Amino acid sequence: MTAADLTFRSPATLAEALTELAGDEDAIAVGGGTSVALLLKHGLIEPRRLVWLGRVGGLGEIQAGPDGSLAIGATVTLRELAASAPVRRLAPALAEAAGQVGNPRVRAMATVGGALAHADPRQDLPPALLALAATARIAGPAGEREPPLAGFYTGFMETVLAPAELVTQVNVPAGPGRRSVYLRFTPASEGDFPVIGAAAAVLRDAGGLVTGAALALAGAGPVPLLIPAAGELAGRMPAEADIEAVAAAAAAAATAVSDQRGSARYKQAMAAEWTRRALRACLE
Amino acid sequence: MKLSFTLNGEPVAADVAPDELLVEVIRGLGLTGTKQGCGVGVCGVCSVLVGDRPVSSCLYLAACAEGEQVWTAEGLAQAEPALIRAFAEQEGMQCGICTPGQVVTAAALARENPAATDAELRQYQAGTLCRCTGYQTILAAVRAYLDSR
Repeated sequence: MTAADLTFRSPATLAEALTELAGDEDAIAVGGGTSVALLLKHGLIEPRRLVWLGRVGGLGEIQAGPDGSLAIGATVTLRELAASAPVRRLAPALAEAAGQVGNPRVRAMATVGGALAHADPRQDLPPALLALAATARIAGPAGEREPPLAGFYTGFMETVLAPAELVTQVNVPAGPGRRSVYLRFTPASEGDFPVIGAAAAVLRDAGGLVTGAALALAGAGPVPLLIPAAGELAGRMPAEADIEAVAAAAAAAATAVSDQRGSARYKQAMAAEWTRRALRACLE
Repeated sequence: MKLSFTLNGEPVAADVAPDELLVEVIRGLGLTGTKQGCGVGVCGVCSVLVGDRPVSSCLYLAACAEGEQVWTAEGLAQAEPALIRAFAEQEGMQCGICTPGQVVTAAALARENPAATDAELRQYQAGTLCRCTGYQTILAAVRAYLDSR
């Protein structure tokens, strides 16, 4: 059912897109449309203006800096992210997460910016970006800002994005020698959301000493969940007991709810197990 | 709003609502191979190509197709006879409901990864559901098609 005053805008520049978003308090940005179309269909949103970003220039590139950092435009599709040679080399967890979302159709439509703004805690991409210490560049009426993704999610499907603000780019800092991985556990069909997804990123020096580590989970609470205990691996040559401590912290932090993908207790156990596996994959 | 795009090689102009979905527009034009199945992007029977990308037309806002080349199973059957021949020869269908989606997905795979291994082929086709459990012959058909190119 179409609201009588609903309009579709297709701006060509970021400035135009921001103007379109600011011009109506019931405007919503559309990336690939996978989430917006679903929400529209089910009557969960009732926007008056759809501002499609598909024709906005300059938002669709992946750039690797000379230092090994990555700048990923908001309208890059998950398919492009998964196939990108620099992403696979510099941040494999990100390519692995993007390449396992849904099915080829969803990956060909869904965008990085949309994946962040949608903020469903079961999504695959956010934990990978969290573990890689990514930041989200946000543009809006008040100018630009670039908060760390760690503070981006404020509640179930809620983010720090203010009305008329837009994620324009995601930046992944360089991590020389960094290993990263994303693993997901889907006992139902492959295209489903994971019960638990786990992303880990570990930096080590030449001697094997861990100099930085991060772990984040999908499906383990109302928001994508960073497990700060992983940071305590820094300064160590991690043994199995150290990994076990992070796994225990992950289980304790997981506040998943019981649903058709498993009971809360089961998900806590899976949070621990996939934490172990992700860390081991980075440390082996 | 006015929408112009190319459907199976032919220019199309349509008047669409801002939230109208591509599947509705395509079926409204009389091409009923593209189906509304799950309506949430999972089953694959609404698959079409937009450019060289496979999309779920049940989640694709029609307005986003402005200026695009859209291909459905009907158009691919005409443009790529080897694709349909492979499905016929391998008997890659049973009841036929999912067949247009399987065909479009196979065409998308041929564009994205023409040298797909069997494992990659299975992975790619996995998002298009067949409830007749006819997967082996479908996979054989896609394999035969890729090998024929």
